[in-house]
Amino acid sequence: MASSRGGGSQQVIRTGDMEKMSLDQLKAVKEQADIEVNLLQDSLNNIRAATGRLENASAALHDLSLRPQGKKMLVPLTASLYVPGTLDDADKVLVDIGTGYFVEKTMAEGKDYCERKINLLKSNFDQLIEVASKKKTLADEAGLILQAKLKQSSPSS
Amino acid sequence: MSSSSTALRDLQSDLENKANDLSKLQKDIAKNHQVRKKYTIQLGENELVLKELDLLKEDANVYKLIGPVLVKQDLAEANANVRKRIEYISAELKRLDSSLQDLEEKQHSKREAILKVQQRSQSLQAGKAKA
Repeated sequence: MASSRGGGSQQVIRTGDMEKMSLDQLKAVKEQADIEVNLLQDSLNNIRAATGRLENASAALHDLSLRPQGKKMLVPLTASLYVPGTLDDADKVLVDIGTGYFVEKTMAEGKDYCERKINLLKSNFDQLIEVASKKKTLADEAGLILQAKLKQSSPSS
Repeated sequence: MSSSSTALRDLQSDLENKANDLSKLQKDIAKNHQVRKKYTIQLGENELVLKELDLLKEDANVYKLIGPVLVKQDLAEANANVRKRIEYISAELKRLDSSLQDLEEKQHSKREAILKVQQRSQSLQAGKAKA
C-alpha cells in the first residue's frame, strides 16, 4: 500500500546561501538533491502503479455487478489452472483492507471503497508532485550555480 | 625524541579506535533509520485498517488471513487487535526516537574527540619537525 513516508530533515537552502558555498559543498548539495529527486520519482511511480491496480479492481467489480447469478465462469486456482464454476451471489464481495484483514461488503460498498482509496492515492500523488517539483528546481539551481562557479575558477581565454 | 614518537603512535592508535567507533555509530544510526521506516509504514497501514473497521456496521463480517486460512473474526476483537498493534508500533517508534537521539549525541561527541586527537597529533608532528 503506497504511503507517504516521513522524509529526512528538510533543509531550506536559498539561492543566496548557495552562491556563498564552496565548490565541494555545492557539489554535495546538488548530489543530495538529485538523490532526493530520484527517491521522490520512485514514490510517484509507485503511487501511479497502485492507482492503476485500484482502477482495475474497480472496473472488475463493475463488470461483476453486471453478471447474472448462476452464470458459468472459469475460476483461477493457480496462475495457469482455471476450473469451471458458476457465479454465486455477486452482491457480496470480500475486500482486503490491509494487514491481513478482509471485510465482507456489498457491491456498492466495495465500489465505494475503491473510489475512496483512489481519491486518497490521488491526493497523495498531488502532494508528492509539489514536493518533487520543488526539489527538482533546487537541484537544477544548484547545478547551474555549480557550472557558473566552475567556469569562474577555470576561465577559458 | 623517542617519547614524542611513542606519543605520536599512541595518538595514531587512539585515532584509529575512535574512527572505528564512529563508523560503528554511523552503522547503528543507519539501521535505526531502516527499522524506523519499516515501523512507520506498518503504522500507516494499521491506521488505514482501523479507519475501515470503524466505518463498518456492527454485524459486518470481518475475516483475518492467518497463513493460508481465512478465519472469521469478531468486529470488536479485530478492532481491539488493530488498536493494540498501533499502540505497540507507536511505543516502538518512540523508543527508536530516543535511542536515535542518544546515538546522534554520541556521534557528535565522538567527532569532537577525533578532532581534538587530530589537532594534538598535528601539533606534535609540527613540534617534531621543528626540533
